[in-house]
Amino acid sequence: MSTMTLYVDKKSFIHHVAPLTKLLYVMVSIAITYIIPKLEFVLFVTLTSLLILAIGKVFRKILPILALSILLIISIIIVQGFFHPENQTVLYSIGFITFYKEGLTFAALLTLRVLNMIMSFGILILTTKHDELVEDLIKKGMSPKIGYVLLSVLQLIPQMRATMGKITDAQRSRGMETEGNLLVRVKAFFPLIVPVVLNSLHNTRERAIALEVRGFNTKMKKTFLNLSKEYQYTKTIQSILWAILIVTIAWRILS
Amino acid sequence: MNTIQVNNLHFSYTPGSSVLNGIDLELDQQTTAIVGQNGAGKSTFVKLLKGLLYPTKGEILFKGKNTRDYTAASLAKDIGLVFQNPNDQIFKNNVISEVMFGPLNIGQDDQEARHNAISALKKVQLDDKLDTNPYDLSLSERKMISIASILAMNTNIVIFDEPTMGQDFAGKEKLKEIIWDLRDQGKLIICILHDMDFAAEVFERTIVFNQGNVLADGPSREVFKQKNILQQAHLEQPSITQIANELGLDGNYLTDEELIQALKEKMTS
Ligand SMILES: Nc1ncnc2c1ncn2[C@@H]1O[C@H](COP(=O)(O)OP(=O)(O)OP(=O)(O)O)[C@@H](O)[C@H]1O
Ligand SMILES: [Mg+2]
Repeated sequence: MSTMTLYVDKKSFIHHVAPLTKLLYVMVSIAITYIIPKLEFVLFVTLTSLLILAIGKVFRKILPILALSILLIISIIIVQGFFHPENQTVLYSIGFITFYKEGLTFAALLTLRVLNMIMSFGILILTTKHDELVEDLIKKGMSPKIGYVLLSVLQLIPQMRATMGKITDAQRSRGMETEGNLLVRVKAFFPLIVPVVLNSLHNTRERAIALEVRGFNTKMKKTFLNLSKEYQYTKTIQSILWAILIVTIAWRILS
Repeated sequence: MNTIQVNNLHFSYTPGSSVLNGIDLELDQQTTAIVGQNGAGKSTFVKLLKGLLYPTKGEILFKGKNTRDYTAASLAKDIGLVFQNPNDQIFKNNVISEVMFGPLNIGQDDQEARHNAISALKKVQLDDKLDTNPYDLSLSERKMISIASILAMNTNIVIFDEPTMGQDFAGKEKLKEIIWDLRDQGKLIICILHDMDFAAEVFERTIVFNQGNVLADGPSREVFKQKNILQQAHLEQPSITQIANELGLDGNYLTDEELIQALKEKMTS
């Protein structure tokens, strides 16, 4: 079946790291790119995330999302390269457009941060079973309601993808040429968003009822269906991550 | 004419797990039922006929030409497919534009499309719901909308994927009329069914699918006679046939009329 999850089922070292450890990696790797706003350092962190994605054999899956963010990145570069308040040093000009060094440096920094953010979330989402992640969070004390919302959100993208596929099939089979032409497809998709959203709202309500009749809101202490899996190196990796965070904060304070 | 020739058709969604393993069939003018247990590959088969999927091996020839050389959209003029799940098919937000979508795409002008749409909706008795949002209708009504939207396209071949799903007696009677009406217009009707009684009563030919193979194929009367083969495909005989068997009647019976006739004769003799 076409799987309704973003999780990519492969065998890799990264798949065998505990979900919460990966979540910690996401937080630390994003935080340190802000704590130390140096281009070389942020580049290094970004490349690390890239490397981890590659080890997890999911690099190709992140490409479409990176491609989508190109637009955002280009606008960052133009706006900052043009208008950054500290712009002084002219780097080069094309016609009447002038790019400044300060602005571009800042733009590069922002771009790398965005890329790193996308990729580190990618590591978490693509190599971790979502229900396991959420269960672990709930065991740590997160409200099951938030867990449910989180799972639903993670479900959204594959759901949209599946809906899009179904609708193009429905259109193709009734004589609408969709093959190849992206513009036609996008044009065809927009009028559909209304029924798709309505339908998903409807589903949400049904699911809420289904959950309720099975005692989702009960005040009793709940048990868990799945046993916690044992992961290796959890302590080690988490300590290293905490250490990195502390070192960067110290560096920032001291320098 | 409307023949579809299927030669050594293989298909798999994911490499390694085969869904259809070598199907040879010729589909011609007879009304044809396809039966088989869940997951036998029936829906997959009709999606291949329709050009929504392409064979991994083998070929499908329509009017002598390979479906590989057509797009699904260009086949739409000739082959109409009613999806199993109406929710996979309906995407407009009012009934009339949903039903007019196909006709407009295959080149009917606005007036003609509206005319065909309304007469198709009349056939399913939903012509009083033109401006309703299909999502506000019940599942069985949505199924009827999805049927009407194919009927309005007036194709020479009409494929139904489980039209009786969720339909009550009146709905099934309506479907019978529609199918017979299409047959009388000389169209090729192919229909996936789980309702053996309906298949036996309405269709001239029945094809039994089992795990991606054709297990039996022939006149419905012959196919439904073969209890063993049906059992092998995890199917039941039509209930009339079963009753006749239990009563120890000779011959085989597909419809209530046939059985009643036979019983009457027995009683008078
Ligand atoms: N989009 C898909 N991706 C992967 N596998 C699929 C897909 N659709 C169907 N399958 C698988 O292919 C097999 C045949 O499915 P198909 O829908 O053709 O069966 P069917 O005979 O129509 O069954 P039913 O009577 O339940 O409608 C099943 O094992 C199903 O899980
Ligand atoms: Mg099916």
